[in-house]
Amino acid sequence: MNTYTVTISNRDNATYKVAAHRPLLSSLCAQGVDLPYGCKYGGCITCAGKLIAGNVEQHRQVALNNRQLENGYVILCVAVPISDITLEIGVESHDKLYRNPFLDPLEPHELKANIATPKEI
Amino acid sequence: MKDHCCGPGYASPAEAMMAPREKLLYTIAIYTGTGIQKPDYLATIDNDPDSPSYSQVISRCEMSGIGDELHHMGWNACSSCFDDASISRKYLLVPGVRTSNIHVIDCATDPQNPSLYKVIKGSEIKAKTNLSAPHTIHCLGAEIIISMLGDAKGEAPGGYLHLNKDFDIIGRWESSMGDIPFGYDFWYQPRHNVMVSSEWAAPNTFMPGFDLEEVGHLKYGRRIHLWDFKKKEPKQTFYLGEDGLIPLEVRFHHNPDSTHGFCGAALSANIIHWWKDTDGEWKWEKVVDVDNEPHPDWPIPVPGVISVILLSMDDRFLYLCNWLHGDIRQYDISDPHNPVLTGQVWMGGLLGCAPEVNGVKITGGPQMIQLSLDGTRLYVTTSLFSTWDNQFYPEIRTNGGCMLMVNCDTEQGGMKIDPDFLVDFGKEPNGPSRCHETRYPGGDCTSDIWI
Ligand code: FES
Repeated sequence: MNTYTVTISNRDNATYKVAAHRPLLSSLCAQGVDLPYGCKYGGCITCAGKLIAGNVEQHRQVALNNRQLENGYVILCVAVPISDITLEIGVESHDKLYRNPFLDPLEPHELKANIATPKEI
Repeated sequence: MKDHCCGPGYASPAEAMMAPREKLLYTIAIYTGTGIQKPDYLATIDNDPDSPSYSQVISRCEMSGIGDELHHMGWNACSSCFDDASISRKYLLVPGVRTSNIHVIDCATDPQNPSLYKVIKGSEIKAKTNLSAPHTIHCLGAEIIISMLGDAKGEAPGGYLHLNKDFDIIGRWESSMGDIPFGYDFWYQPRHNVMVSSEWAAPNTFMPGFDLEEVGHLKYGRRIHLWDFKKKEPKQTFYLGEDGLIPLEVRFHHNPDSTHGFCGAALSANIIHWWKDTDGEWKWEKVVDVDNEPHPDWPIPVPGVISVILLSMDDRFLYLCNWLHGDIRQYDISDPHNPVLTGQVWMGGLLGCAPEVNGVKITGGPQMIQLSLDGTRLYVTTSLFSTWDNQFYPEIRTNGGCMLMVNCDTEQGGMKIDPDFLVDFGKEPNGPSRCHETRYPGGDCTSDIWI
């Protein structure tokens, strides 16, 4: 079985071996990591964590807008690792996840993928 | 007096108003989105002024797992079953918006200490009906319908879940959703064979938080729908446009003969009034328009964001909350075409009008309200929805939500925050939680419908 190593930076760099094709939330919860979640299908953002290093594949997520993706957020209930990764988990990682939409509007290219327009250069 | 031979509730709104004072309050409290890895729960609050634990949480009924995001709830039975002696108002149905689990809580066996009776799993609901994200609950005679805001993948428009009186899934209630793009709240008025529904957004749009730009991309609602209640299908749509951005709570008059009803358009901060005119046509108009307010640090003025409205049992007063401004207003709607502002109080909000009330820093703004049956006590909580709270009031994570009581003058009009009542959910034993909708054992002003 193909596995990768997940390091959790805000849990004393604890490491876990996870399967390549299993969503990270499921792999980590099964090994006793206490993670938030809600919908478990990639639509509600509750399980978001921040990717510090490495790569994931998360095409099934529909919760994040392009700015949140740009800031490294991953939707752990549907994301699968495609390399060894380092994550920051839980609400401690949510410093850039939420913004006041009246104070800090999104640019057209920062909207969710299905309505974003490409950035003008 | 109530005829005790009969079923739940009251023979009429006038009889409901004479019911004994509510001595217990049931309020949703959530940990979803707070960083505290505990289940959301139903808090029971002692509301007997003569009791030593008055205005305190006396019990907590935890859900079966984390992450539900409890939001609204409803009774298994109301005054629509008043003639049915085999039914009683015993169970609160408490759905989780994020998990789609629906918790059935027994509040009658030990009213001070409700217990989890049954869980209808979100996975079962999705498998049998392709629906998710439960919101409003109304009983329907002995049965129950629940507005579900998404399909199993969280896309709009969802539909209506139909349960029998034993809380088994019958299937979908509606015959057709017609052209309805989004769901949210609903209310029915059976003597006119009409149901009204409003529009929030697809769960995948609103659950992650509020991207204002998505309103312009038509990802949020701006319509109210009238249904043929017997045929279970939509028959007319009011397109509200810019006057009705994000129409949320819909309330018919409690008087079952009336066709008048109201809706709060959250983002436009307007009250929409509808009625059936003398020519037999259903019409709508905007009757209240809350102005946006300048903010010292914001580039654009702040909309009120009317997160809830409620009508008193005698249909004389309408209450609304401006969650971002921080005020609750009372309007006399004796003439439903011309509401008159008769009272206003402030708590929290972003305008800095009342950062502290009864010695507690208010984080959030007035959000969900419930009124006593006699119309004199209004209970107010401060949290809207975990992700939206986190955007507008990030300090709520550490401070939690709170509940206040407002004394309402039903003679002259007017409102005053009660100095002796405060439930600080920032001090909960498992850490700060956020409180939302409230109901009481004897029924309240947003449960009962008369047929
Ligand atoms: S649990 Fe809802 S997006 Fe992951």
